Amino acid sequence: MSTLNEWQDYLPDYLDGLKVTLRLTGVSLAGGLPLGLLLALAMTARRRTVRWPAILLVEIGRGAPALVVLYFVYYGLPQLDLTWSSFVCAAIALGFTTAAYTADIFRAGINSIPVGHREACQALGLSHGQELRLVVLPQAIRVVIPPLIGFCILLYQGTSLAFAVSVPELLSRAYSQASITYQFTSTLVLAGLVYAAISLSAVALMRARWPGRTASVTDVEPPGEGLARTTEVTHAP
Amino acid sequence: MTPESKPLLTLDGVCVAYRHQEVVHDVSLDVAAGEVVALIGPSGAGKSSLLRAINFLEPPSKGRILLEGVEVGGSRRTLDALRRDVGMVFQSFNLFPHLTALQNVMLAPEHTLGLPREQARERAMRQLTHVGLAERADAKPGKCSGGQQQRIAIARALAMEPKVMLFDEPTSALDPELGAEVLATMRTLAGEGMTMVVVTHEMHFAEDVADRVVFMADGHVVEENSAGKLMRDPQHPRTQRFLNAVRGR
Repeated sequence: MSTLNEWQDYLPDYLDGLKVTLRLTGVSLAGGLPLGLLLALAMTARRRTVRWPAILLVEIGRGAPALVVLYFVYYGLPQLDLTWSSFVCAAIALGFTTAAYTADIFRAGINSIPVGHREACQALGLSHGQELRLVVLPQAIRVVIPPLIGFCILLYQGTSLAFAVSVPELLSRAYSQASITYQFTSTLVLAGLVYAAISLSAVALMRARWPGRTASVTDVEPPGEGLARTTEVTHAP
Repeated sequence: MTPESKPLLTLDGVCVAYRHQEVVHDVSLDVAAGEVVALIGPSGAGKSSLLRAINFLEPPSKGRILLEGVEVGGSRRTLDALRRDVGMVFQSFNLFPHLTALQNVMLAPEHTLGLPREQARERAMRQLTHVGLAERADAKPGKCSGGQQQRIAIARALAMEPKVMLFDEPTSALDPELGAEVLATMRTLAGEGMTMVVVTHEMHFAEDVADRVVFMADGHVVEENSAGKLMRDPQHPRTQRFLNAVRGR
């Protein structure tokens, strides 16, 4: 009973933290997703001078742990006279990580479109831009929505890293409560439950909308990945 | 082709290479307006590669393509003109699955030619009616039979009002019954005077509909003649062997 009473006391503070968590998730996605799409387009471009910098950026973003990126933005950039609030730093770092990961998802989606569709566009005289806008992207978006939702859920949970640069998000609220009461188990379990409530509802919503598609948070590889790899190999310059 | 008429499409010493490996060697061919040319031959003979070279999906590694006497490929402008004037139908249809039949057909008139949407829609509807599929206008390709999909693809190419239509084994992905309806559509087009270059394994179509048949093997044109002569009285042993094998089945 006492745990439930404690939780009742914690909850208002937690919900404030949840708001920060959700806002950080939203801002990171708002910046990261468009950038991810741009990087994906650059990665699939014909010119090497466009392709290679994009690939490099994406590999850095996927290779470096998000916490390292976050520390770099928060502690590293001030040495170059770039200083922002902890929330902005977290949004920049997580937005960059989002861009890198979703770029690869978008790229796989773009490459999953059969080469024949692109040839049909060329044979019909459509420009490269029209081909992307009218034929490739509308189809690719459908392919990538489930893995993108999977990534969004990962990112939502990943915002807990912002605790490390003292953003007052959900985990930091749990930690401050615990440092007052020393009830680490109950404070962290409640935090976990609040995270899970949102993540699992998102998964359930997605399952209802796209039955048969996996929404597991570990499954960010879209279908067509295998195909994507083969087309890439055959069309390498 | 009558001697005084200028060829609509000219292939002059065309070679096609993939990564330095040449698969089509030095093919020259004239196609007159209104003529139907069938390209036949065993798999790997380079028929499809040659066809794809004509509209620069696979730019020729050597040689020239001339459309109405104008060489293609030197500039973006001639390439755009080529793509407007040459329609292509693929073995695997390549319809856009997220668009309806009508949207597939009106896409290029609206976006390549820049026609107002209503005009593009009218033109697309006319072509769908032409191939007998007006009632499927609002269906997605996935809901249509293979034969219907290929006829929609034909309508899509026709909607550009091309001067030449290229067909790359248009019935190979279809069972004989569905293939027959596509061939009937192509017969109609030929009857209306459309200039066509058709890569095909349908010997009856080559014999009955084509004016001229070109037999290719190993990347070379082995023999070409009027359809009746080549199909009934092939001169080259390689052609004889191929036709006997095909007919022996």
